[in-house]
Amino acid sequence: MSSSTPSCFLLNTAMSKAKTQQPAVIHKVIMVGSGGVGKSALTLQFMYDEFVEDYEPTKADSYRKKVVLDGEEVQIDILDTAGQEDYAAIRDNYFRSGEGFLCVFSIKEQESFQATQDFREQILRVKNDENIPFLLVGNMVDLAEQRQVSVDEATKRAQEWKVSYVETSAKTRANVDKVFYDLMREIRSRKMEASRQNNGKQKKKKDSRKKKCVIL
Amino acid sequence: MAPRNAPPLVTGVSPKEGPPGTRITIRGENFGDDPRDLIGLKICGMDCLLSAEWKSSSKIIARTGPGKGKGDIIPVTRNGGKGSCTVGFRGYFLQIGPLQESAIWIDESQTVRPNLDHGRPSAAIAAKEEEDPLAILDESDKPKLTEEELLEMFPEASGNMSLENFSPGWYLLEHHQNGSFDDLKAGLNFMKRKASQRSEGPITIVRSNLTAILDCLDSLSGMYEKYKEDDIRGNCMNSYAVLLMQAKSCADGLFQEVLGRKDKADSTRNALSVIQKFRFLFHLPLNIQRNIQKGDYNMVINDYEKAKSLFADTEIQVFRKVYKEVERRIANFRDMLHKRLRDPHNTLDEQKKLIRYLVSLEYKGDPAWECLDNQQKWLIELLDDCKDDRIEEEKNSLQGENLAASQNSLQWKPIARVSKSPTKGGISRESSFSSLSSNDQQAWKFRTPQKVLFVEDLTELMLQNFPDFWKLGQSYFTREKSEKGVKIDTSKHGKMKQMMTEVISLFANFVRAAFLPESLENLPEAEREKFGKWPTPSKQEHVSGTWLPACVRNIRNCANSLSALDSHGDTMIVLNELAFDMRTNCMFSLLKQAIADVKSLHAKETWVVETDDELGGTTQLPALFENIVNEAIQHLHEVVVMTRPSEPEIFSQRPIQKEATTLCSQLLQAFSHCMEQLVFSPPLHKTESKHSVKIIIGQDMELDQMEDPIPSMDKRLIIMLSNCNHTLHIVVPRIIENLTKHGYVEMEKALKAAQETYQELDQRLFSSYIEQKSDPILGAMEPNMYRGGFNWKTWKNPSGVRNYLKEIIMSVIEVHAEVYSISPKFVLRVMRKITESVCEEMCRLIQCVPDFNASGAIQARLELEALRTTVRIYSTDHIESCFKEAFECIPELSDEGKRVVRKLLENTQSSMKIQLMCFHDDALPAPVKLNTHADSSC
Repeated sequence: MSSSTPSCFLLNTAMSKAKTQQPAVIHKVIMVGSGGVGKSALTLQFMYDEFVEDYEPTKADSYRKKVVLDGEEVQIDILDTAGQEDYAAIRDNYFRSGEGFLCVFSIKEQESFQATQDFREQILRVKNDENIPFLLVGNMVDLAEQRQVSVDEATKRAQEWKVSYVETSAKTRANVDKVFYDLMREIRSRKMEASRQNNGKQKKKKDSRKKKCVIL
Repeated sequence: MAPRNAPPLVTGVSPKEGPPGTRITIRGENFGDDPRDLIGLKICGMDCLLSAEWKSSSKIIARTGPGKGKGDIIPVTRNGGKGSCTVGFRGYFLQIGPLQESAIWIDESQTVRPNLDHGRPSAAIAAKEEEDPLAILDESDKPKLTEEELLEMFPEASGNMSLENFSPGWYLLEHHQNGSFDDLKAGLNFMKRKASQRSEGPITIVRSNLTAILDCLDSLSGMYEKYKEDDIRGNCMNSYAVLLMQAKSCADGLFQEVLGRKDKADSTRNALSVIQKFRFLFHLPLNIQRNIQKGDYNMVINDYEKAKSLFADTEIQVFRKVYKEVERRIANFRDMLHKRLRDPHNTLDEQKKLIRYLVSLEYKGDPAWECLDNQQKWLIELLDDCKDDRIEEEKNSLQGENLAASQNSLQWKPIARVSKSPTKGGISRESSFSSLSSNDQQAWKFRTPQKVLFVEDLTELMLQNFPDFWKLGQSYFTREKSEKGVKIDTSKHGKMKQMMTEVISLFANFVRAAFLPESLENLPEAEREKFGKWPTPSKQEHVSGTWLPACVRNIRNCANSLSALDSHGDTMIVLNELAFDMRTNCMFSLLKQAIADVKSLHAKETWVVETDDELGGTTQLPALFENIVNEAIQHLHEVVVMTRPSEPEIFSQRPIQKEATTLCSQLLQAFSHCMEQLVFSPPLHKTESKHSVKIIIGQDMELDQMEDPIPSMDKRLIIMLSNCNHTLHIVVPRIIENLTKHGYVEMEKALKAAQETYQELDQRLFSSYIEQKSDPILGAMEPNMYRGGFNWKTWKNPSGVRNYLKEIIMSVIEVHAEVYSISPKFVLRVMRKITESVCEEMCRLIQCVPDFNASGAIQARLELEALRTTVRIYSTDHIESCFKEAFECIPELSDEGKRVVRKLLENTQSSMKIQLMCFHDDALPAPVKLNTHADSSC
């Protein structure tokens, strides 16, 4: 056993790697937002078409599946993070690997809307990128009668941040696919832009490095 | 196992990382259709199938194993085979600091340095760790290699410089992947410089602050000097010490009370905790009491045993005191148990239990043995009491009976006797008892013999108590064998056996004393006295045969069930012998009683003849006789003949066999005596008895009583002859067959003897009957022949057969009718005999005539001829020769004479036609004809 397991393990990883590498493009989406706003619900609705009624705080869940984005087969990798403040310290680490963010709040909970501000700031600090693909998502629109956050209010904030605002319902699956696909499109266009820039940027980078060296 | 469906695919994991034992939800597709489809699950290379919980084909919940680092989640299903995953799980080990709580044991040797005091400098160094020790700026936006990829490259390594498994390669790849070799070299130099700076650090500080340091030194030495001076001048230290002592005592004084209280509280608490800790012991006396009351003896014993093992040799005063109390209670308990054990009314199980309790309580001595002893004594006492009671009652009842008898001897004695002689044969003796019981309750009570009750009681006592006693004895030895092999005592075995035998033989002797006193005759008088002397009633045998079978049944049952206890032992031989003796005794008694009954049968003759086509007429007597015999056989069948497996065959012993055969033949022959007596000396009916009969039997009998029940001698003779014949040919063989069927041996002998007897009786009866019948006829012949001065020589006018001859014929017909009415079978036999003697006499009379005249010759010839033709069918050679001789004496007739004779004969025959018919055709006796005959003859 002890001798065969490692080789087997290596083989497995090689295989899974081969598989995962086939649709080369992976879009890494990170769900952020306060606890209990429905990040996991949105994710599970998107991934498995199921709505989970009972609430169980998430620590950090990982999902990945093939999707067809505008005729192109890509993989979406969703990192569902913890909303609770207990895990705030480890968010940095997670955010670092994210390529696009769905910032979720609950329209029936003002605090969750306010918290989006903090998340936005933290993301920007970690990614150090004003134009990081980002969507403001107002969830639980199926419970509109308990609404505390008005559409105007949210739209205003989205405009401030220069992002789009979408209202969803994980329960009714309203706009669920839309938010993920919209974000993926943004990520894709962002990546294409980045690769375009890369060709011209290569030299600039070297310069800057040299500059820094000089400073030191 | 060929995978038919798509392989499972894991697309989601929640959470994606965690320490071993994390509960993770795995989502994906094709996880199978039911829990059994999931046949494998690996997380980070660790098999987690055991903890896996299949929820749906897209969801599994499992707990991670001790896998470390990032790894795949691979489910295996029955139909899909080995699966793959798009997401992975990262296992890590929590590093728990020295101040953190942890539910699991942490190996701290790696993370915590043994000299924690010196942790500071290293921590300081770590804190001082710069972001970039090589001072090479990384220009790229982000590292190309992710942490996971690095982990794969350097398993078990880390890029953290402060950890032991720090891998420089990791670090360089992580941070300076794009740096050129020159850059790295420069970085190395930088680091070296930094390091040297760090080690030089303290010296430079000293150099730059030299004056200040020297100042410090100076003032320190000054202080030292000053202190030294102080010390020389006075021992200020001492005064400090004194002051300190004072302060201490003061403080002690202040807190003494509080401290004392605390001590007291402590000791109280200690005591309480001791009591709590040993509450078992302290509560034990009470618990014992309670459990004894509840009857939970096992509990008591267990507790006691526990306490004994814990506290038996305790040194502690309190424990010893309590333990003593416990001992005291246990001793009481033991006594109580012992007392209960002595109570013989306990059941076997109870006794066994009690003995077990006593043994486990270490009762001194041998409780089981005591119990056995006790039981035996009790049993003997019971038997003894029973015997005494019964004898006493017997005596009382005897007295009472005598009293009653003397008081109403006129009244109920005859009742008893009369009712014992039922008018109809079908009534058995038992039913006569019951009919009596309805009449006279008192009499019934007296009639159930005390001996029978005694046997019933005795066997019941034995059956109830002895098996328990026996089993107890058996278990006593087996227990000793199994528990303490050393302690088994063979002498007790013998003693036990002796005890058993004592009880059994006592029982046997009691029974013998009651029923077979003769069998105890060779015992000394004193001993016999012990077994009970039953008063011997002056009247007939006291225990009637009817009761004996029941007694025998009881005894046999008892013997049987008791022998079952000890199938191979010899203890029960006595019992079996007793049973055997009882059986033989019963058989003999019953047979004797039957004989007696048969002998007294003559009292029951009613002389009512019942005619049967085949058998001829008989009275009920033979049937009664058969009944009695069959009844006796029936009674004896169960008791005597049916042998149970363990018992000896009753006829296996020669003397018994002989005796039985003799009794049987006596029984068979007894009837002959009875019949003989009936014929020759019939019982005289008493008028008073007739009255009673009328009262009891009722209307039916009254009619019978009207005519004289006892017929004349010759009628009796012929009836008994018929009975005898019937008995000889039908009843006896039937009885013999029955007897043989029931296993009686040597019945041929009995049959032969009986046949002889009955033949003899038959002969006697027949000859006396013939005598009875022929005597008057013959005696009347001669005077009648010569009546009216008749003379053969002077006879003138032979006008026909003379009256005397007609009279003779009529008498013969009368006999014929009588015999025919009783039994047609005898007609030939009797008639032949009678006609023979009549013809003989006739011939003799003719031969004696000295001379005939012509008319006389005609007359003689006519009469002889008439007689001859009349009795032709009964004719024998002897009769024929007689007639021939007679005819020779008469002178020859002339033709004229012959003619006259023929004519006159015809006349006579035609005139006596009806009378003569009974001589014509005896082969076809029609009952109607018979009746007309009888009428005409009368």
